[in-house]
Amino acid sequence: MANDLEIRGVSKRYGDPPGGLLAISDISLNVQKGEFVSIIGPSGCGKSTLFGIIGGLVPDYDGEVRVGGQRHVGTHKDIGIVFQEESTLPWRTVLTNVALPLEIQGVSRAEREERARHYIELVGLAGFENSRPVELSGGMRQRTAIARTLAFQPKVLLMDEPFGALDEQTRLLLGDRVLAIHKELKQTTLLITHNITEAVQLSDRVVVMSYRPGRVLRILDIDLPRPRSSDSVTDERFGRYVAAIWGDLRAEASRGMKEAEALRGTGRRAG
Amino acid sequence: MATAGLTAFAPSQSGGVTVTMIRMLTLAGLLAAYQAISSSGLVFTGAMPSLWAIGSALLRQLADAGFYAHLGITAYEAGAGILIGGSVGLLCGIALGVSRLLAAVLDPWVRALAPAPKIVFLPILMVVFGIDAGPKIAMAAISAFFPVAVATFGGMRGVSPILIRVVRSFDASLLQLVRLVYLPSIVVPVLGSLRLATGVALIGALLAEVKMSNRGLGYLIIQDYNAFRTAEMYALLISVFTLALAVNAALRAFGRRYGAV
Repeated sequence: MANDLEIRGVSKRYGDPPGGLLAISDISLNVQKGEFVSIIGPSGCGKSTLFGIIGGLVPDYDGEVRVGGQRHVGTHKDIGIVFQEESTLPWRTVLTNVALPLEIQGVSRAEREERARHYIELVGLAGFENSRPVELSGGMRQRTAIARTLAFQPKVLLMDEPFGALDEQTRLLLGDRVLAIHKELKQTTLLITHNITEAVQLSDRVVVMSYRPGRVLRILDIDLPRPRSSDSVTDERFGRYVAAIWGDLRAEASRGMKEAEALRGTGRRAG
Repeated sequence: MATAGLTAFAPSQSGGVTVTMIRMLTLAGLLAAYQAISSSGLVFTGAMPSLWAIGSALLRQLADAGFYAHLGITAYEAGAGILIGGSVGLLCGIALGVSRLLAAVLDPWVRALAPAPKIVFLPILMVVFGIDAGPKIAMAAISAFFPVAVATFGGMRGVSPILIRVVRSFDASLLQLVRLVYLPSIVVPVLGSLRLATGVALIGALLAEVKMSNRGLGYLIIQDYNAFRTAEMYALLISVFTLALAVNAALRAFGRRYGAV
């Protein structure tokens, strides 16, 4: 199978070598067409840095990122990003928010609204086309953002903790929605998360990262049958995957926590 | 806290009647006090003509076609000034907001000039633009420029960085970024600044008219002053107040449609 996304030996250092901070070190990863891969790691593993590099928002780094076989620089029409933060335009409706990338591409109004409606329906927001973000819940706003990025029709969908701000139950239910979308579109997806359950629930493979500098600790195949749903959490194998990932993460997360606390103790700000 | 403060100032359905009544009573009380002092003979009647004299002067003025011609002149000067100063201010504010370098270079100048009394420019403007509408429009434009430029710049600075990143991630050009994110984000502060700009532009035009002109409301006011027609002068001032209030209310209603308060 063809690789939609290839990450080869990517490292990123902030500042100059002696005093600088090596955020991520020699990350390599391939994501196949139609595959759903999650990257999981403790706070401070450089997830956000990696996200910025793949998304073309961080310009200077070592190594290379290839999308659809092409080396890519800067933001790119083949990479669609869903941000962790609230990112719907508050003065636009759900419909015009979702149609935004098509508007940027110069698609005619009739066509972009038709296509936007399709993705709104896909994320389960039919009937809310004319609502404004302020009238929606956090989960609905995040689904609007996902529909918007899907309407961009990227080769690779890159999501950074899209449900990070939501409660666990909403998160599981939205996970079902993401699974349904993935089944329908076969969208190549790279999800960055710190939620183990979410990573196992959604992914074909889970990439576990170490604490700073972020390295790939392990890549785990999640061999749970599809179609999945949030019911999978009751599966015995599900629990084993969660336990295996936590086993890897535990030492890293506690190392990260200790370092962060030590930095606080010396009065320096923890990155 | 903030909410409580807001509700205290926003007249509720039942409280609204009370607030309006108190406002009316206050106005009536002030007018009565004025009239009492005016007719007491304690103050020179030339400085405080009776309400009756002002009222009849106002009616005469409103029936006079010449008044509307002068009103039109002032409105034209202030309006042209707002249009010119406002659009230049908007463009400058946007440019400052987009370019860090430009902002760093020009920010101290704008800061220094913004609060300066614009009347100091009048002699220069009269030299440059002559004595007709030119210097009045220029005064109004300079006055309107600063509040709009400062508010636009502030609004541009306040645009959510995440929205900029999102729209950039969809491969938008700089022009699209301005149109799709910056402009909609600054509508509310810019409309607010336009209300302020309208006020100061009107002041600018009137000041220039008072100084040197043969047309406009400022000219009428100074004529009445020179001839000591105090009642007529007060009637003119009432018209100017009303004009400013009407424009302000119209801009405010427009701003509400974009979520301003």
